[in-house]
Amino acid sequence: MKSDDKSYHTRTPGWKHAFGKKLENILGKGGVVSAGDELIAYDADALTGTRIIPMFVVLPESAAQVSAVLGLCYEEEVPFVPRGAGTGLSGGALPTEEGVVISLSRMNRILEVDIANERVVVEPGVVNINVTKAVSPYGYYYAPDPSSQVVCTIGGNVAENSGGVHCLKYGVTTNHVLGLEVVLPGGEIIETGGKTLDRPGYDLTGLVVGSEGLLGIVTKVVLRIVRKPETVKTFLAAFGRIEDAGAAVSGITARGVIPAGLEIMDNLCIRSVEEAVHAGYPVDAGSILLVELDGPAAGVEAEMPIVEDVLRENNATLIKMARDAKERDLFWKGRKNAFPAMGRVSSHYYVQDGVIPRSRLAEVLGKVEELSREYGLRVANVFHAGDGNLHPLVLYSAANEGEPERAHELAGKILRACVDAGGSITGEHGVGNDKKVYMGEMFAESDLDAMNVVRCSFDPKGLSNPGKVFPTPRTCVEQGAKPYTEHPLQKAGMGEMF
Amino acid sequence: MGESAILKTLAGIVGGENALSGAWAEAYSVGGVAPRMVLFPGTVEEVSEIMKAATRDSLSVLPMGSNTKRGLGDAPARADIALSVKRLGRILEHESADLVATAECGMTLAALQEGLGGKGQFLPVDPPHVKEGATLGGIIASNDSGPERLRYGTTRELLIGMKAVRADGTVFNGGAKVVKNVAGYDLPKLFVGSLGTLGILVEATFRLYPVPEYSRTCMAGFGSLEDSQAAVHALLNSDVVMTSLEHLTPALAVAAAERAGIPAKRGRYHLAVRIANVEKAVRDQMEHVRGILKNHGAEASVFEGDVENSFWSGIREFPGGASEEGRAVLKAGVVISEVPSVFKVIEMLREGGVEALASARAGNGMVMIELGGDDHALAGAIDSLRMVAESGGGTLVINDAPPGVKSAAGVWGDLGSAYGLMKRIKSGYDPLDILNPGRLV
Repeated sequence: MKSDDKSYHTRTPGWKHAFGKKLENILGKGGVVSAGDELIAYDADALTGTRIIPMFVVLPESAAQVSAVLGLCYEEEVPFVPRGAGTGLSGGALPTEEGVVISLSRMNRILEVDIANERVVVEPGVVNINVTKAVSPYGYYYAPDPSSQVVCTIGGNVAENSGGVHCLKYGVTTNHVLGLEVVLPGGEIIETGGKTLDRPGYDLTGLVVGSEGLLGIVTKVVLRIVRKPETVKTFLAAFGRIEDAGAAVSGITARGVIPAGLEIMDNLCIRSVEEAVHAGYPVDAGSILLVELDGPAAGVEAEMPIVEDVLRENNATLIKMARDAKERDLFWKGRKNAFPAMGRVSSHYYVQDGVIPRSRLAEVLGKVEELSREYGLRVANVFHAGDGNLHPLVLYSAANEGEPERAHELAGKILRACVDAGGSITGEHGVGNDKKVYMGEMFAESDLDAMNVVRCSFDPKGLSNPGKVFPTPRTCVEQGAKPYTEHPLQKAGMGEMF
Repeated sequence: MGESAILKTLAGIVGGENALSGAWAEAYSVGGVAPRMVLFPGTVEEVSEIMKAATRDSLSVLPMGSNTKRGLGDAPARADIALSVKRLGRILEHESADLVATAECGMTLAALQEGLGGKGQFLPVDPPHVKEGATLGGIIASNDSGPERLRYGTTRELLIGMKAVRADGTVFNGGAKVVKNVAGYDLPKLFVGSLGTLGILVEATFRLYPVPEYSRTCMAGFGSLEDSQAAVHALLNSDVVMTSLEHLTPALAVAAAERAGIPAKRGRYHLAVRIANVEKAVRDQMEHVRGILKNHGAEASVFEGDVENSFWSGIREFPGGASEEGRAVLKAGVVISEVPSVFKVIEMLREGGVEALASARAGNGMVMIELGGDDHALAGAIDSLRMVAESGGGTLVINDAPPGVKSAAGVWGDLGSAYGLMKRIKSGYDPLDILNPGRLV
């Protein structure tokens, strides 16, 4: 039974009280949040358009506690939503009304740093940047670097398969996660993968990374760390037209150079970022392109003139190389603050995360501009150009009647343009609650059915982060148990089978 | 329907000239089990029709390309149809500006590389059996790889999208054709290494890399295993970006060097380091490598061109494929620092009269092993090696061995606490257990 009235609950107050007591038995009083004013802090992640106050928030400190909570939820059929730092941009951590939010913030220990074997083992609540900090003295770092890396957690990165500004060359989270401890819905604790490679059996690690919390709760993560490059060189190039910046990107990769980072920002972004963080961007440029080369010194030196040639060939009006690490950090600071800086030019913005083949960049950007005009809403463009991951920011004001809806509609059309160009509706932010309606644009029913097999194998009751990712709820068909029938070849008199 | 009618229906799907039965089918045996018939579908629709028929009549299906991995896994419990996708052999898309290509899974890796090479790009996997026709589908399904995985990873990191046919004939896509995509579950990851037990792979989309313009390899022998392993750690914790770093046991080092025509000292553990980049970067880094090796008491010789290629092709193909009597081929996965523990068992086995050779992807902790001996000796040796691998948190898999050895020692070892979940996934995709039954889960 469901009602449109948000205050309607199928659970009685008595049941709720008893359930809260059971949670306290597992976690202690300090591990359960039930007061209304405290629950508000968990009503959304960084996508704040929709807010739902959960029934309870729990703060487990061990896999055993998570297991006990999930066991209880299974028995009582209570849905649960895992949560890291709440920086997600797709509503993946949006609570369910009659559910429990499981915050992993207290499981924030780095369990093992194994430099010789290039591995770090962490709990899910460890903040991304802290992994790099732990290994930096040894000359290593953790490669995936989402813009929120100073707050976002590894558990959240695992759920979303987060990317960052260096994933063109170094890959995304899934390429750096080698093993997991996962508590399955029902409470069973399993280990997948490990510190070693090519472990026999299905790659469940690869399946859980990016599953957006729909397959259980991750309680331990084995990470790969990589050696810091010998040399890093960062270029800032300015262009009159954003199409030229896009053509330069294709030109660089076509010449056999794979930069560590390739980022484009348009004029609207440049201006707001420059105002916010003073990164030294040319505010009159139509667009800028950041190119970062890294690796062995001689290799980088050989690549530099190639990149400069390509930039010039594509009408760069300015080419500036970061003089030192400080200026490089400043270049990147601008880029990493592109989203928050938008707050200066617009009261609200809606970020999209579509992906297109690099070669279709100019075409899709043209389409975005067209849509922007059609809807009378400004769209700022910032994107990981190297891997075709666009982050159009649709600017609007919630105070204007109907504008939020129009902004969402416009954003949806941008995603459609991405899919039409052979791309994806999300490159790193996840589908979550936000983009599930677009899954059908990208995937056929048979594709979604194949994914549902996975979901049902992990979570037959559909309790783990329900209502996310998939456009329509899919049921789990009872598996297995087929009555024995005589093999047709046996029937045909072929006698015994093998 | 009788036996002959069923076979006739199946042959009708692909056309008589693309179906084999009886003695002809024996050549397509897997793990010593011969299928009743072999079908070579020419389209995805035909694959789907075959699977629909197989589901209708509960016929077991052994998916394959060129069947170069016939020794991998447990012998199938049943084998009605061998389904080879070899005729699905085209590049469907190659957008060089995007460094992405989509190809049919029956295409051989060799043919794909030839097709991509014109644009100066390649799929950076270097598994064995390429000359015998290893196909894209087989390489994905076995997650097979070679020494260059240090730089590029395996198909796990390179496969971004796929099309497959489920046991009931349904065709579906997973992943996407762009390098970055997190929409829905990452089904390509699930299919990498799934050994044909979840569906028939028919199309694959990969990210590609530019072919490096220049390459050199150096090799050096060490006074002790401690020295060679210390050099491994020093190389990994240096600024050098290596394409391959191979650690060879003494007997194998000599054999591999002789094969390629390179000098190698007897009785010494050897390291081989390959660097590929622009010429100047290779030369600079090679000097750096030689310096590091020298600090560990080893004098490196550098080689190039045909000699270099022949050396690495030997390493790639070691320890070879399909089983002969008295021979076992293994793959151990341990942490980097545990490679010497595995080598010490190899030494011990040799002292005990078992033929044993090993080569480690030293920067990945993967150890390729070849053993020779009678069934009893092989099973005992595998137990010893597996014990040392597992005690360090690693695994050991039999890639190929005589049937008696496989059943005595166990092909996969302990599949761990997730085995129950793997079985649920298998029965979710294949409720009748008709795809490679018994081979993996």
